[in-house]
Amino acid sequence: MVNRRTVLSAAGLLLALLLPPLATALGKPDLVTLGTQIAIYAIAAASLDLLIGYTGLSSFGHAAFFGLGGYTVGILAFHAAGEPIFGLLPGATEAWIVWPLAILTAATAALAIGALSLRTEGVSFIMITLAFAEMFFFLFVSLKTYGGDDGLGFRRRSGLPGIAPRDDVAFYYICLAALAAVLFLFSRLVRSRFGQVLQGIRQNPRRMAAIGLSTYRYKLAAFTIAGAGAGLSGALHANLLRFVSPDMLHWTMSGDFMIMVVLGGAGSLVGPVIGAAAMVLLQSWLAQWTEHWMIVMGPILVLVVLFARRGILGWLR
Amino acid sequence: MTPLLEVRSLIRRFGGLIATNNLSFEVATGEIHALIGPNGAGKSTAIALISGEQRPDGGTIRFNGADITALPIAARVTAGMTRSFQITSVLPDFTALENVALVFQVRAGHSFRFWRPAATDRALIDPAHAMLARMGLADRAHIPARDLAHGEQRQLELAMALATGARLLLLDEPMAGLGTTESQAMTALLANLKGHTTILLVEHDMDAVFALADRVTVLVYGQAIASGPPDEIRANPAVLEAYLGEEG
Repeated sequence: MVNRRTVLSAAGLLLALLLPPLATALGKPDLVTLGTQIAIYAIAAASLDLLIGYTGLSSFGHAAFFGLGGYTVGILAFHAAGEPIFGLLPGATEAWIVWPLAILTAATAALAIGALSLRTEGVSFIMITLAFAEMFFFLFVSLKTYGGDDGLGFRRRSGLPGIAPRDDVAFYYICLAALAAVLFLFSRLVRSRFGQVLQGIRQNPRRMAAIGLSTYRYKLAAFTIAGAGAGLSGALHANLLRFVSPDMLHWTMSGDFMIMVVLGGAGSLVGPVIGAAAMVLLQSWLAQWTEHWMIVMGPILVLVVLFARRGILGWLR
Repeated sequence: MTPLLEVRSLIRRFGGLIATNNLSFEVATGEIHALIGPNGAGKSTAIALISGEQRPDGGTIRFNGADITALPIAARVTAGMTRSFQITSVLPDFTALENVALVFQVRAGHSFRFWRPAATDRALIDPAHAMLARMGLADRAHIPARDLAHGEQRQLELAMALATGARLLLLDEPMAGLGTTESQAMTALLANLKGHTTILLVEHDMDAVFALADRVTVLVYGQAIASGPPDEIRANPAVLEAYLGEEG
């Protein structure tokens, strides 16, 4: 008998691949943008799942790395169009330069923030990650050169050879491919020796210490990898909108990523993708009726947490 | 001969309370050494100090001739000692096999290996199977630890402790919560380890203590009031008054 999960995954994948022609057929090209948004958020949510679902670390500052990835792209584009950075380094718009740099920037910040935050546990950890993210939020609010509060727009997407920057369908497939790559890498990761250690830490950190494991360095590595994932997500998000703003680093963004993970099903990698889709679709649908769409979203989240312990994914299985 | 574990004048305070008061005792290589005493005598604190979970306010701990008082937990495990917990402490989502395999993985060195699946790694799975068989859990290898019976979980803990390759096991009430038959099975398992593995045993089950222990140290208010062979301890008037007497 064919597994229900396999059928659902195949259906999801098929839908994702056929979305652009379907959108054209339905006469709703906006669906492609919505799909792109889902894929981008899913990358950040899946990387946060490494921390929440696998390592048991409730980071409330994931938006910091998302925003840093975005601003890396935005700032390099800004300098490419104008003055070099500090009058020395030219800006850049080529994807093969700015995306890896966005990932590297976010990962470096995650390494530094993680190194300090991971000395705490539980509620203190949640609060300190939130505090660091807020620091970055206010940093970008006060950086008037890069638009401050108003954010920073740039004219064109990061260039990839052979792909027209204004082609939304091509960009959708790029984001989809990035999501697939991230999910594949992470699914290998969580089954590796490293992943086993992370899951051990989630289940029983005291026991892991008793068998001779120094948990700190593994938590830090996981935190850095998750930050890198959020950096990629942020870089793509900046490209989608051709605009970055401090909103990307706002604590509500961190909260949204957490909701995606919990709503979809933590500790599964696929769950956060479903969570991202549910969140984006609900938001766009409910926003037609009211700007207070969280009034509806809130109770849904409560019900899911109460009745489907493993999120939407657990309920589908 | 130098004792495997040598605790000298150990002190640990919690605010005004002295949990460990000038505690000294020795554990010889190969013996099962029981640490007994009434509730609140500081037995669990002693285990926490020796394993490195807590730091003493004074005194020294020597293991295998070396001073380990300042070593972190992981370094003590590498040196050859590990602890078990009073409350069952396994990895509930993992199968019995995964629990033990993970211990062999940690023992093998760092775990910064990101690509190959651990579940099919023969270097981990084979010794894990062997260890489960030794602990009588061969046919329970693929059951998630949370679904094992309580007695089986305690056996699994022992398997994990042994998998670290420890020469000294610090067992904090391995019989806690076990029924009579399960206690007897656990006693038999521990008796089998005698000679290969040195054990410091904290235990309330006096039948188990007197069946297993080569020597017994009695703790009252954080202090060792007597230390010697079980028969001698049973006859010691101070011990009878402080401890055995009150339990009848």
